[in-house]
Amino acid sequence: MNRMSSMKDVPREDMLIHGHGACPGCGYAATAKNIAKMLGPNTVVYVPASCLVVFGALYPISSWKIPYFFTAFENTGAVTAGIKAALRRRGVDATVVGMAGDGGTFDIGLQALSGAAERNEDVIYVCLDNEAYMNTGIQRSSATPFGAWTTTTPVGQVVKGNRYFKKDIARIVADHNVPYVATLSVAHFTDFVRKVQKAKETKGFRFLHCLTPCIPGWRIEPSKGVSINRLAVDTGMWTLYEVVNGVPKVTYKPKTIVPVTEYLKLQGRFKHMSEEDILTLQGWLCEKWRAHYGEEPGSPPCPVPVHEEVLAHDGDPLYGI
Amino acid sequence: MYEIRFHGRGGQGAVMAAQSLADAAVRSGFHAQAFPYFGAERRGAPVQAYARIDTKKVRTKSQVYNPDLLVIMDESLSELADIAAGLKPDGRVVMNTTKRPEEVDLGKGVDAVCGTVDASALALEVLKMPVVNTSMLGALARVWDVVPLESIVEAIEDRFGEKLGTRAGILNGEAARTAYDSTIIGRTLGRKEYGKLAEWAPAWNEIPIGNSLRSETRDGVAVGPASSSQNLTGRWKWSTPRYDREKCIRCLRCWWSCPDSAVIRLDDDYMRWDMDHCKGCGICADICPVNAIEMVQGAHTW
Amino acid sequence: MVVRTITGDAAVAYAAMLARAEVVPGFPITPQTVIIEQITEFINDGIMDADFIPAESEHSVMSVAVGASAGGVRTFTATSSQGLALMYEMLFAAAPSRLPVVMAVANRSLGAASGIWTEHNDSQPVRESGWLQVYVEDNQEALDMTIQAFRIAEDHRVMLPIMVCLDGFILSHVVEGVDIPEQSLVDSFLPKFVPVNVLDPKDPFMINPVTPPEFATEMRYQQDRAVEGSKLVIAEVDEQYAAVTGRRYGGLFEEYRMEDAEIALVGAGTWTGIAREAVDQLRAEGKKAGLIKLRFMRPFPGEELKRATAGLKGLGVFDRSAAFNGYGPVFTETRNALYGSSVPITDHVAGIGGRDITVDVVREMYDIVERNASGEKVRECTWHGLRGEQR
Repeated sequence: MNRMSSMKDVPREDMLIHGHGACPGCGYAATAKNIAKMLGPNTVVYVPASCLVVFGALYPISSWKIPYFFTAFENTGAVTAGIKAALRRRGVDATVVGMAGDGGTFDIGLQALSGAAERNEDVIYVCLDNEAYMNTGIQRSSATPFGAWTTTTPVGQVVKGNRYFKKDIARIVADHNVPYVATLSVAHFTDFVRKVQKAKETKGFRFLHCLTPCIPGWRIEPSKGVSINRLAVDTGMWTLYEVVNGVPKVTYKPKTIVPVTEYLKLQGRFKHMSEEDILTLQGWLCEKWRAHYGEEPGSPPCPVPVHEEVLAHDGDPLYGI
Repeated sequence: MYEIRFHGRGGQGAVMAAQSLADAAVRSGFHAQAFPYFGAERRGAPVQAYARIDTKKVRTKSQVYNPDLLVIMDESLSELADIAAGLKPDGRVVMNTTKRPEEVDLGKGVDAVCGTVDASALALEVLKMPVVNTSMLGALARVWDVVPLESIVEAIEDRFGEKLGTRAGILNGEAARTAYDSTIIGRTLGRKEYGKLAEWAPAWNEIPIGNSLRSETRDGVAVGPASSSQNLTGRWKWSTPRYDREKCIRCLRCWWSCPDSAVIRLDDDYMRWDMDHCKGCGICADICPVNAIEMVQGAHTW
Repeated sequence: MVVRTITGDAAVAYAAMLARAEVVPGFPITPQTVIIEQITEFINDGIMDADFIPAESEHSVMSVAVGASAGGVRTFTATSSQGLALMYEMLFAAAPSRLPVVMAVANRSLGAASGIWTEHNDSQPVRESGWLQVYVEDNQEALDMTIQAFRIAEDHRVMLPIMVCLDGFILSHVVEGVDIPEQSLVDSFLPKFVPVNVLDPKDPFMINPVTPPEFATEMRYQQDRAVEGSKLVIAEVDEQYAAVTGRRYGGLFEEYRMEDAEIALVGAGTWTGIAREAVDQLRAEGKKAGLIKLRFMRPFPGEELKRATAGLKGLGVFDRSAAFNGYGPVFTETRNALYGSSVPITDHVAGIGGRDITVDVVREMYDIVERNASGEKVRECTWHGLRGEQR
């Protein structure tokens, strides 16, 4: 097998080809494209309801070169398990991958995801996380960050934006004791390649959680659809780590924490945030930083959290990371 | 009853325009309705929206096939397809273009009163962003006087004001007024012939069962797996990357980061751009560490 | 050939094993549970070669089934009541994707007033999901039809999923002597599953993408014709099964003592066995009573029923579920099919929530049909055994 360790090794051939209908600058498409490329032609893809189901194929035209299947929203874990069982019985040794969004993973698909993870189904589950229900027009999911505007967390006179903190789905999946869990960012090229490669060569349930910027949903410039992920990692909004057979490891640590305002100011979805809310989010991030990296993030920017009691993050040191 | 069809691209605000027109008509004492083509199109993809205006209640709910008025918010759409199809013999056209009405060509058989306006430039000037819907409504009022400009501006101020803030409402009203003043009225006479697009419109018993397809060609149309090359999504672009091979360090970042696989990695790891599918998002220029890629306004094919 | 005294659930499990189902997702729900218990026992004893996938809900059960069938292998599952309701969404994925999943439904009352006893209000409401539906009378038929179901569903002229409906408890938990055919006999009857559209990298298909209005109408019509076209295959399969086992069921419906019948009842499920008793009693008393055992709700044998009932003086329809605001579903479908026929027709709702049906209850139905036939004014729809006056 051609083992890929950097972008150079990634094949030229696409499995999700051009001509799809994603918005210009779609980080979701960039991520899906590269994962599909790396998994290669010997792959079957299942896509539940999501942006990808709409922009990737519309009868009779498809951007998928590999076998493609869609049925519903909440069943990626189950359908992929069924496909894999069938292929195994037919002696077809192919990779089965499900590519779901954050809604289809964190929320409505959590039960089927948990079932597949617990049974250690031999599939790759990719969560393309654009932090809201973008396909239906930007509604909040349990992946939406604190403070963000969505159409169901509108900026009102009294309540402004999302009042809840993002769920740590990768950790929840890791707690199922599956062979491989990793968090990815399409802007962290080598780390991305290494993790998809690892997932590809591992047997059993593999979970790849990818942060995928959304141009209209995040209200960002189309040109930032990939690079904004760097700031997500540098501010602690996203942590790059993996859990191999239960052993967690940070795979990339920024030298120093960047104030979250640097990330927020690029995005229309955060522009209404009050100083108090920003402070709350910053406090949450600093706790997360301590938990994930096992070190003090330093001050500034870290404040003393003003609303310690509302922090969803409990400061658990994530298995000692 | 008057029927109006808007042609735009996802993100240009065609639906908002149709709704504002209906709103303005209601303010002027008409009955009206407005609705989009109910698709799942993304930003940049061709979209349609419709409005109907009548002195009595509008009862039909069908799409508009024979418009009295055609509003073309993006000139490039007329290159793709015969968007003036079905225009009534005495129908009128409003178009966002730098051309004069006489230079507009919407295909053989189209002989109509036409108003042209450079709404893109105007929107950039007034609104500081290329959202042309309100400018087009101003131009519409100039071409077609059934709904007066004042009602249109009122509707815009209210609807946009409510959604985007009072100032945005006023600015958008301003854009409509400015466009009204700068619209050129003339006549368009269509000359070109649109090629017949290949179409697969199978009878029920010609469709493979199970909503499933292999990669194949049916009636000249590629269908099934890997058939989307025919979607020329490069037509969506409003800016174009220019690549300086001399500066390129072959880091592959642009190739990796392009959501549309429009950056082609050559054998020597230099790049070539597939302009048929580049949507002009600018990710390649943004991610390039050595400024070997620059985004240039407008759609180019170098 | 072995005769074993087993439950209806066990009979279904034997059939799934003999049919060589390869993937069996399952989730427990009374009164179906015995089926998946029995299957896992077969698998763990090494006498059945299949993957049992213990999914975490019925929604996932049907999702696994759809995935496995699209993956190209013979797929079986079973459910009841609330479980079927939870699968609802995925039923509508299996049928248009033309995936020939076979599912046993141990009929059970759905929703409040909650009970675990038999009623057809779980499977009747999903007769518009595009699945074929067969209702069986006894444990032997449960086994036979489960085997036949694979042959019908997987026929390339059909390629539709099918539900084998057996009355909860009345069959699922009642033991009867069941003739279990030899494996070799089943193998000769049931060919290997050859999928039409399958997820395989060697021959890539896209299956079930989002489909715009330009194609959806034609696809639905195609589905409609496939259901109608299955009538022919059902009849053929009945013949072929009879040829190897000697057991013939009559295809879409079976006529019992209908030759010179003047009054008749039509209905589905275990009720038909009781109705046979009633018919025999009435015949002994000199009354020209007959019975049509309705086997398939989908395809619904409309034209065929119209022909079979022509010349009757009265017809009653048995419904084991209510459609509310009037009649039961079997009545609605039957009367619709008989449009233009001059046969007077009445509806008879009974056995709701598992309430027992006796020969006397069925005789009461015949009595109403007879009075209706003689011109007496009777209720168009009667709920049998109901306390309180019907209005």
